[in-house]
Amino acid sequence: MKTINLPAIIFAALFFCCAAGNVSAVSIKHLKAPDDAADCYTCHQKVTPRVAQNWYESKHGVALVKCFVCHGQPDGKGSIPFAVVPDSVTVCRKCHEPAMIRMEKKFGIDPNCYECHPFHQNSVHHDAYKKSVSKSK
Amino acid sequence: MKVTRREVLKTAAAASAMAAIGGSLTNMAKAADSEPERWVKSVCRFCGTGCGVMVGVKGGKVVTVKGDPNNHNVGFLCLKGALMPPIVYSKDRVTKPYIRKNGKLEPATWDEAMSLVTTKFKAALKDHGPTSIGYYGSGQALTEETYLASKIWKAGLGSNNVEGNPRLCMASAVGGYVTTFGKDEPCGSYDDIDAATCFFIIGSNMSECHPILFKRVAARKQANPNVKVIVVDPRKTNTARIADEHVSFIPGTDLAILNAMAYVIIQEELDNQRFHNKYVTFMTNDKKKVDFDAYMKFLEEYTPEKVEKISGVSADQIRRIALMFAEASGTTSFWCMGLNQRIRGVWANNLVSNLHLLTGQIGKTGASPFSLTGQPNACGGVRDTGGLCHLLPAGRLIKKPEHRAKLEEQWGLKPGTIAPKPGLHTIALWNAFSEAKVKAMFVLCTNPAHSLPNVNIYLDGMKRKDNFMVLSEPFMDAETVKYCDVLLPSAFWCEKRGTYGCSERRYALLMKSVEPMGECKPDFDILMDFAKRMGVDPKVVPYKNVDDVWNEWREVSSVTSYNFMGITRARMEKESGILWPCPTEDHPGTKIRYVRGQDPNIPKDYKSKYHFYGKKDGRAVIWFRPYKGAAEEPDAEYPMVLTTGRVIDHWHTGTMTMKVPELRRSFPKAYVEVNVDDAREKGIRNGDDVLLETRRDKMVFQARVSDVCRPGLVFVPWYDANLMINKLTLNAFDPGSKQPEYKICAIRIKKA
Repeated sequence: MKTINLPAIIFAALFFCCAAGNVSAVSIKHLKAPDDAADCYTCHQKVTPRVAQNWYESKHGVALVKCFVCHGQPDGKGSIPFAVVPDSVTVCRKCHEPAMIRMEKKFGIDPNCYECHPFHQNSVHHDAYKKSVSKSK
Repeated sequence: MKVTRREVLKTAAAASAMAAIGGSLTNMAKAADSEPERWVKSVCRFCGTGCGVMVGVKGGKVVTVKGDPNNHNVGFLCLKGALMPPIVYSKDRVTKPYIRKNGKLEPATWDEAMSLVTTKFKAALKDHGPTSIGYYGSGQALTEETYLASKIWKAGLGSNNVEGNPRLCMASAVGGYVTTFGKDEPCGSYDDIDAATCFFIIGSNMSECHPILFKRVAARKQANPNVKVIVVDPRKTNTARIADEHVSFIPGTDLAILNAMAYVIIQEELDNQRFHNKYVTFMTNDKKKVDFDAYMKFLEEYTPEKVEKISGVSADQIRRIALMFAEASGTTSFWCMGLNQRIRGVWANNLVSNLHLLTGQIGKTGASPFSLTGQPNACGGVRDTGGLCHLLPAGRLIKKPEHRAKLEEQWGLKPGTIAPKPGLHTIALWNAFSEAKVKAMFVLCTNPAHSLPNVNIYLDGMKRKDNFMVLSEPFMDAETVKYCDVLLPSAFWCEKRGTYGCSERRYALLMKSVEPMGECKPDFDILMDFAKRMGVDPKVVPYKNVDDVWNEWREVSSVTSYNFMGITRARMEKESGILWPCPTEDHPGTKIRYVRGQDPNIPKDYKSKYHFYGKKDGRAVIWFRPYKGAAEEPDAEYPMVLTTGRVIDHWHTGTMTMKVPELRRSFPKAYVEVNVDDAREKGIRNGDDVLLETRRDKMVFQARVSDVCRPGLVFVPWYDANLMINKLTLNAFDPGSKQPEYKICAIRIKKA
């Protein structure tokens, strides 16, 4: 079995933390939106157009699994905690538990879905989505 | 210290996840707090897709839900289904009974409330007879509740005034299936989606109204891009995103398009002569049996070129979609309110089935004319168990003496107990209530003060002092609460046990997850109490619990082609839904009807492969239904068309979805969708206030300018209690199904 020394783990963890630092900052700095702000997509088309377009073209976008289903609500008053990266255990499981169980059996790891499944970029392969704006950038 | 490579990656990934979550520790703690102690099997409370859900319970409270992996939805939920828990604990729950005194609802005891209800119903019966009382139920009530209410009224109180909101959403589908096949309900199942190579979606925005089924269609299209999707809708909805052909037509002209498709199919010799020669009767609109040549002659009025002039759809596109429909190895059609909520809803339903019968696209997996249902238990609760004014359980009709006699025998009642005359259909019933001809009305699990068309006239009727309305309702902010005389707190969804039957004839058990809130009671208990106080013969209601009702329903159905005998409670507790007919406990349920070897109603050695046993001659009917326009076509005074519908985030009158913070925020209020060209012409910009005016009322909505509606059409969602579009809609109805034409009325708009 291939083994690695402990310092390497710490380095890897720090690297990932730094890489992800900006993402967590976004969640902290979310602007206060009025109660009638409409759905997230309306604003995020303007403020994070690439992320919004990625979602729109994804399977979640086609099936209208909207932002708040996985990310919660910025004011924290939603049904699930507000987070930039959803907690797989509570969020993904609502729909994908059978797949999570399969993955767990196959690879023996805890479900940490987004590491391998970039859910904003899981597009439907069809003419309507070949005109992908986000993927041509 | 040595660790494996996998452990390194796992640790690093966990660290990055923690960092990325932002406040992740709090979230993790919250997630742990809501980890359920047990999962209870149930069904989603919203649309007619009937997705299985598992209710997560902790400390006697619902904390979360997830999809049931063993039901047809294989674990998936739409955004509404995934966000149900806050609804249960809404501050607007009705938790005790109320009686209206001096115009205000005052708290009361159950005994006071039920005594008053009984007094009013007894007085109406004594002074004005059984036609002066009414029951108005719901496609959201449990099967056992509707069966019980219908039996109390029809067998216990002698009144056939039993109606419900399914009259507003799917009566035309019933009429369509019964006239074409002789029996109600679709002949296929959701499995057809996985095998179809062409989807013909007409009058349905599946993507927003039946999201999990649409997801399955999209997945099918994704797996095989050669699968064709045709979407026929004057709005370019999200459903049209996956369409190969989006057919935008002048609202109300779809009957002509469907006939034109039949014309093309025959001209291109794509009709299945072997099938229609053997299994189809051709019938004129006035019920004369004729031959295929007569059908061809009838269709000459509907050449693509002629229909192009009527519908605004190019002759080329009509030809293309007709060929797609007929040439596919399996075509499945889906339709919903766009066809049903029309004054020619039954005809529209017939015309879709015509295409399937003409081409033989029926009776094999992937080929089926499939009507979608709007509510979770309209099929299972109301259509099948006979919860309408003209129906008895299992497809029997009140007007047929032999049907009444057989049911009276099964129920152990004196011959002649059930009155021979059908009761009043929904619009007639509410008209009669508004005129105080119906004196006492029991409304259960529905919100007519918001959902009836041209609702103002019915609100005036509900305000009268000389009629009486008792409402069993879980939410204080439902519009009808403003008008009821007695309000009863009903247990909600996961607080009770019972059955839902969805669009595909699948019946599933909702097990009780938690205790009812406050003094709430299941509607079964409320109805049993009502029957007892009204002095209904105990032989009519010999039930200790809902399971007794279910078992009686199984027995009653067992001598008909419905046959639920094999769907026992024990099986329902174990399995996640079974499709009827299911005659024995070892029967797996029926995915395809009318086909030998599939449908248990057809003997295995039957001489032919197909048998449409709903018709005496075993043949389904291709009807010659002419094109007729809407009840209120646009004119010089009101030049545009108003249509109404749903958005994915909200359901029906919003009494549930408005309780979910995310859903409320997503669409906090209704709006009007205007085409860009119309908006430009009228100087309307996105977000402007727009005055909408019909012959009934006027109202201001905020504009959403887009290319979703075709020019000349505006759309308003109907969920918003503060902006009730039903004040503007029309209450004209189909002469056959009595279903109102919500989908089309004339309107004028201008910038407010």
